[in-house]
Amino acid sequence: MDTAGRTAGGPLLRISGLCKSFGGVQALRNVDLEVYPGEVHGLIGSNGAGKSTLIKILSGDIARDAGEIFLEGEPIAIHRPQDAYRLGFSFIHQELNLIPKFSIIENLTLGQKKASRLGFIDWKAVKREAKGAVERIGLSYPMDTPVEELSVADRWLVSIAHALMRRIKLISMDEPTASLSSEESERLFKVVRELTAEGVSVLYVSHRLDEILALCDGISVFKDGSCTLTTDTRDATRQSLVEAIVGGKTAESELRLLSDVDERPIVLETKDLNKGGKVVDVSLVLHGGEVLGLGGLVGSGRTELANLLFGIERPDSGRILLDGEVYEPKDSTEAMKRGVGLVPEERRSQGLILKDSVEFNLNLANLKAIRLAKLLFLMSGRASARLARSVIDRLVIKTPSIKTPVVSLSGGNQQKVVIGKWLSRKLKVFILDEPSRGVDVGARAEIHAKIRELAGEGTGIIVISSDNEELPRVCDTVVVMSEGRIVGTLRGAEITKEAILYKSFEHAAP
Amino acid sequence: MLQQGNRKTKRNARLLTISKFGTLIGMAIMILSFSIAVPAIFPTFRNMVNVANQATLSAIISGGLTVALIIGEMDLSIANVASFAGVLVTGLMVQSRWPVGLAIAAVVLVSAAIGIANGLIITKLKVNSVVATLGTGSIVVGLNYAYAQGVPIASGLPESFKQLAFGKVLGVPNNIAIMIVVLFVLWVFINHTEWGVQLRATGGNPSAARLSGIRVDRIKILGMSIASICASVTGILLASLIGSGTSAAADGYLMPAFAAVFLGSATLRDGDFHIVGTLVGVFFIGIGFNGLAIFGVPTFVQYFFRGGILVLAVGLSSVARSLATK
Repeated sequence: MDTAGRTAGGPLLRISGLCKSFGGVQALRNVDLEVYPGEVHGLIGSNGAGKSTLIKILSGDIARDAGEIFLEGEPIAIHRPQDAYRLGFSFIHQELNLIPKFSIIENLTLGQKKASRLGFIDWKAVKREAKGAVERIGLSYPMDTPVEELSVADRWLVSIAHALMRRIKLISMDEPTASLSSEESERLFKVVRELTAEGVSVLYVSHRLDEILALCDGISVFKDGSCTLTTDTRDATRQSLVEAIVGGKTAESELRLLSDVDERPIVLETKDLNKGGKVVDVSLVLHGGEVLGLGGLVGSGRTELANLLFGIERPDSGRILLDGEVYEPKDSTEAMKRGVGLVPEERRSQGLILKDSVEFNLNLANLKAIRLAKLLFLMSGRASARLARSVIDRLVIKTPSIKTPVVSLSGGNQQKVVIGKWLSRKLKVFILDEPSRGVDVGARAEIHAKIRELAGEGTGIIVISSDNEELPRVCDTVVVMSEGRIVGTLRGAEITKEAILYKSFEHAAP
Repeated sequence: MLQQGNRKTKRNARLLTISKFGTLIGMAIMILSFSIAVPAIFPTFRNMVNVANQATLSAIISGGLTVALIIGEMDLSIANVASFAGVLVTGLMVQSRWPVGLAIAAVVLVSAAIGIANGLIITKLKVNSVVATLGTGSIVVGLNYAYAQGVPIASGLPESFKQLAFGKVLGVPNNIAIMIVVLFVLWVFINHTEWGVQLRATGGNPSAARLSGIRVDRIKILGMSIASICASVTGILLASLIGSGTSAAADGYLMPAFAAVFLGSATLRDGDFHIVGTLVGVFFIGIGFNGLAIFGVPTFVQYFFRGGILVLAVGLSSVARSLATK
């Protein structure tokens, strides 16, 4: 690429001292960034490092707290998405903004305001323009093809064409290749290069370091809201980028491996599990008392795997063995009966009945235990309160009373309620999806201790986490997934956040 | 967080209190004003019995609807089921000469089947419950006409069937006793059984309920059949009370039932549907209708009252819920 473009003339976009916080969390701190005309500028970093916040500020979706943005040297204000539109910015999000049932031309002309003299839309002119845009990106379908019939790659091209319907200066793409094959990605890169050759700048967000290194002219790395590294791609290596993402070398994590993990009985085993391309040929083994971490990026298929194990979905192919017996749960009720529990990813929408009490929520997964008599469906209020109290004590849930609605508890205590639901059952396998997301530091440590304690009682535990500091702390084994496949297994001292991260960015062999 | 929103929380709490007791206060005001306006007729023992009699039927069908709303579904077919139940029970006794008990049992079973069908359509075909029960309601009207051709079945009803509504147990009129039993069973069922917890969990957050091992579809089917069964009890009692099976006899119960349940949900609790609230709602509306009729207001005002109360009740209920979760 034309790396000389980076130095010749001034930058197209210059950001200086940009800050943004949400509540008490500093999402962006003092970010400086320059994007030159015709440059592909890569934005990388872990989930939650601040990339999307930056893009949302540029697109006018959220307002900045402090800092300045210059376009071609002029300071600009972006209060609303319309402002960004007028400035010639275009944003393509991962969930493409296309209407599936509409044809290519209908999608391209959406939102066009080319009025002729009488105030009517000049369809002829609009169509001419749409044709031009489609030719620029080399899309060869008839213009009346419904978008839902196109592949994901072609839908991306349509989205880019939509952006090209007007004069744009900057286009931002959020993980365009996340669901593309390598040939499809190549086609997209070709279009990107043609765009930049015409002087359009591209902000390119991706987790794939190889393609960042191949495609981008400049790269900015984000970590915890700061831009920790800005570099010419020529000076960057995979190694230097990962180090910047992680934040330098960190201390070795403490040794966690159960020395006898392999001698322990296997409680759960999967063999070549497949589900709709989200879970591909997954084979793993979980021992009793083992804490197995599932690492990887968001969307790597970990939650989908958990759904298979908990009977929420059924695999297309492959086998699961629980305690050596065939395990094919048809729903979560059956999974529970077999001794499997799940703490879902979304606490509020999947884990809790918010308006109901702590007691109600805690006992929900174990109603049989609070019957008045064994064969009676009437519940005992006393047994219910006793069961709830015992869990509250075990997990140190801070709540004014057992009758308090969970909605009024703090995030950490809410999460403990979700975990506590399962503590009164005897579990063989306990799956926790993002157990400490949105939980304060204290509660987080308590949850980690509780996970180890449960494992100590012989339960096999699977922890899914995108927080790469969490897995080294609690896991005996970490299996890293990428694009639905297992790309690596780490044991004991091998489990470091760097190692997990390296593996996460690895391309799964096709 | 608590300190920050303290003033707002306080205001919300005050509003919540008003909505919690508003129905009761409104009822008191209503009773007072009707008593002053028509002192000779309204505040008499005879009229009170009359109101209670009217309210019993409404209370039973509303109790069933409460269950449907707890699981988060609507049931617009209940009034049609009630009408059909009245026609079917009288028809079975008069035309097929079935004994009273058997006829009643058969009708309750048929209604349960209608409820199960509603539940299956909602859960398996994933049809929105408003649309589903609008459709099945019309089908039930069709069944009704297919069975009796719209001709009232009045003559030849066994005496014991008429006694169903007019008889007394321990000095309490039968239909009031039946209402008490039905509502008590529903109350225990909802508040003190496993199924009740599952019903509430399903309505509160279906995906969390499912992930807690609750078979949400089955629970919804159960809830819908309870709504239908309660409707049939109202229909049977109504047939006994008016002494005939008439094709559209119970159709007018739909709107008041919805109004009563929603009104009740804002009463005493924060927008949760519950049986005690429903009973309060039923009496509120019963007294309102009765007082207006005695006062002799023109028909259009009665319609205003019906419609206004429904909208107000649903509004109150949703405001209460949003205040409670803020």
